[in-house]
Amino acid sequence: MSENAVRRLIAMFEAISAAVETEKDHLSELDGAIGDADHGTTMSLGFLAVKAELAKIDVDRAQPADVMATAAGAFLNAVGASTGPLYATAFRRAAQALAGANDLDLGTTAAMIDAIGSGIRERGKGQRGDKTMLDAWLPAADAAGAALTDNKASTEFWSEVVAAAEAGANATRSMVAAKGRAARVRERSLGHVDPGAASAVVVLRAMASVLS
Amino acid sequence: MALDTVMRLQKHDVASILANQTGEEKDQMTTRASSSRKGGANRGAAIDTSDAIPLRYGDDPYVWACWLYYEDGMTQGEIADAMGVSRATVNSYLAEAREKGIVQISLEPARLASLTIAQELKRHFGLTDCLVVPSDDNTRPLIDRLGVAAAQALPKLLKSGDTLAVAWGRTVLSVGEHTDIASLQDMTVVQATGGTTATFSYTPELCAAAIAQSVSARCVNITAPAIVKSSAMREMLLDEPLLQEQFETLGRANRVLFGISSLRPNSTIHASGFFESVSLQHYLAAGAIGVVAGRFIDERGRPVAGPLDDRTIGISLDMLRRIDTRILVAGGFDKVPALLAALRGGYANVLITDAATGHGILRADGVTSLDGRLSQKPKVTQTPSSYRTHVKKFLNNPNQVVEEMLDGVVRAHAGYLQPINGSNRALVARNGPRSGKVGLVIGGGTGHEPCFLGYVGKGLADAVAVGNIFSSPPPDPIVQCAAAASGGEGVLFVYGNYAGDVMNFEMAAEIAEEKGIKVRTVLTTDDIASSPVEDREGRRGVAGNFFIFKIAGAACDRGLPLEACEAVTRKANLRTYTVGVALEPCSMPQTRRHNFEIGPDDMEIGMGIHGEPGVTRERIKSADEITDSIMDNIFKEMKAVSGDRVAVLINSFGGTPMMELYLLFRRVAQRLDAKNIGIEANWIGHYCTSLDMVGASISILHLDQELTELLHHPCETAFLRIS
Repeated sequence: MSENAVRRLIAMFEAISAAVETEKDHLSELDGAIGDADHGTTMSLGFLAVKAELAKIDVDRAQPADVMATAAGAFLNAVGASTGPLYATAFRRAAQALAGANDLDLGTTAAMIDAIGSGIRERGKGQRGDKTMLDAWLPAADAAGAALTDNKASTEFWSEVVAAAEAGANATRSMVAAKGRAARVRERSLGHVDPGAASAVVVLRAMASVLS
Repeated sequence: MALDTVMRLQKHDVASILANQTGEEKDQMTTRASSSRKGGANRGAAIDTSDAIPLRYGDDPYVWACWLYYEDGMTQGEIADAMGVSRATVNSYLAEAREKGIVQISLEPARLASLTIAQELKRHFGLTDCLVVPSDDNTRPLIDRLGVAAAQALPKLLKSGDTLAVAWGRTVLSVGEHTDIASLQDMTVVQATGGTTATFSYTPELCAAAIAQSVSARCVNITAPAIVKSSAMREMLLDEPLLQEQFETLGRANRVLFGISSLRPNSTIHASGFFESVSLQHYLAAGAIGVVAGRFIDERGRPVAGPLDDRTIGISLDMLRRIDTRILVAGGFDKVPALLAALRGGYANVLITDAATGHGILRADGVTSLDGRLSQKPKVTQTPSSYRTHVKKFLNNPNQVVEEMLDGVVRAHAGYLQPINGSNRALVARNGPRSGKVGLVIGGGTGHEPCFLGYVGKGLADAVAVGNIFSSPPPDPIVQCAAAASGGEGVLFVYGNYAGDVMNFEMAAEIAEEKGIKVRTVLTTDDIASSPVEDREGRRGVAGNFFIFKIAGAACDRGLPLEACEAVTRKANLRTYTVGVALEPCSMPQTRRHNFEIGPDDMEIGMGIHGEPGVTRERIKSADEITDSIMDNIFKEMKAVSGDRVAVLINSFGGTPMMELYLLFRRVAQRLDAKNIGIEANWIGHYCTSLDMVGASISILHLDQELTELLHHPCETAFLRIS
């Protein structure tokens, strides 16, 4: 059981890394409109480092929480900037949520998504509507919670989570950035999708592809 | 008047006219080089006119007629007499002159933009009417300008006998303060919501009273709280005959005037303190983006349900939408998402806002067709073959540029610093850290050299954490720096206030604390252009870092305890004022392209040190004028009096040469002299750069006795040595 969950989480990070590589230029382009055009590069660096570090893990002995903790450390040391601490804190909280879990049932998965969202919120001291990655992660976490309550099957669970994240990311188009470098350009951020929210959708889609 | 008629005449016409007119008239002329009027001249000559066309009109009756009509202000009849032709001929001259482009009628650009935006808003959202005030007039606060605009619009929107519902807020109160309509009769103004605490000036009662007075109306208040403790209490109150009567009046309203609040931290909803923050969090989590008359809506304008709904006494969103004329007055970028939501939800059919906000709403809703029409400059459609797209740089592998630079730095400045544990991403001062001394750790992204590593050495910073270009270092090297700098008395982190740096240094501080190293942090916030003074803590740290590091390093070197080091560093930060101006953008080594563009005649004020766009863009001015506007801003905040002393830093962003920096310093010194403020010390050069950006910043440290002593305290670093 545990081995299965660990392998699935590692496969999940591999899928995320592959998806980020595909979307890398697009993400940097989005960032160029309101930031410093490095978001795609940053995300790529981070998940490549996570992949490399996870390759060293002893899959027979490790727990799901170890995978998350390893990802947190690897992402942080590779990236810096603001994305580093945000996702590192997210994965660290996810590791806490997975502590003791041997199976990735939907309850655990929902707790993991919720931990990622709240980790990012705590570290970035942000909220919904700030035009950040939270505008994708928080609706995704809510959708996961709701799908769990409604006893949805895995496929439906994930399609609702991804749909909520996509809707949230699209909504950032009409927001004025309140955090980070984009906040300095004020109204110039209008009409642009937030690159952090866009990459959150990429990450969640990749998670869905492996876990659903 | 907004209409501004300009006669555009051909060169030879103008030359002959100029010979006969005063200088003042000359200024009003606009020339347009063209050969298109050739045919017109021939036709003009063919027309039988009086033989006395004055020489200056170049034998052209069109120009003559236009001049008399537009410049001399004669009537068509008078012109007919003067020219010896019929009035009908004059009329056709004038009409044809417009067709030929001899006369062009143009609107003042700012007015034109307002009208274009208003028209587009009206069309896009299907509004009954829309008024947009120009944004270029910054002489008065936006709220006042919106109040004046609404005051002009209200006489056209209100009729005698109307019942006008009035919501509350800063903008609505401003409308009341600026409106004065005497011609209306039998008006009723009714408060749209219950009452609030009177801890602010724009309560529902005061807003309704102000509007009632300005339109000579009878005022009906809702004599219940806007939010009550329970839904049971709400039911009981609404059952009261008095309140029923008041709500009946509200139900009869055929006009409503309201503003809108965003849910941003500085919004009315938060600032009024009237809404419980717990409930606000609930609405935020449910996707609320704005508040209309006390009711929460999401980004599509749909009502958001929440715990306050059945405790709120006031107009409902459905009641609001049923009113004939729904006048929304609001402006400001923070409100754009909320405004967009209100328009999408159909809550308003008359919008009064300013051009920048209106443009923002349209852009946020994906309307881009406007951008071309608003731009006054002709678009460059072709790139000449000689056009440069890449900047030349000394490079090997662009991805290795930071590592290669650090290798060079460590070799060049081996006398001052060395790597910690073999990594050049964490460097420690050779003779810096010692037992019993507070350690000073600084750091940030690269691309700012000699910041930050140039200030590591004895008497200044003990260690520096180095990130990628314009990007914070991760926590690990910062923790290594903290450990290397620690002398057992704690470590002080000093770095610029940027989201990425704050998060990484905060995480590093947590880890260092776990390792038993006490950490205190001072964020530098010297860039006074980056936020208004009320938001001083939100400002970013720029070249003034130089002074703040120097003071912190001296305090640490003198053996002061951690708390004292922190306190004096905070003081130095509060007394350091910087404004930067960029003339040309910088280019990143990886792309060798500019990371943003500045127009050929523009400069960007408030430029930070990460090459991110500045705060305002203006036409470039002379060195003295630029310096004056920077110093005016600094003097506004720095409470220096005659006899005070300051330290001055004129810093190049990388591409501006020393020659120009001395011009800036000259003017700074003149301005300080005029106020009898003495210059204790000055530095001119590259101290905190932004790669190859052309531009400079001026930093002033307002000294006192303690800061003066610390400024002169000896230090030995690669880029600052004081003995």
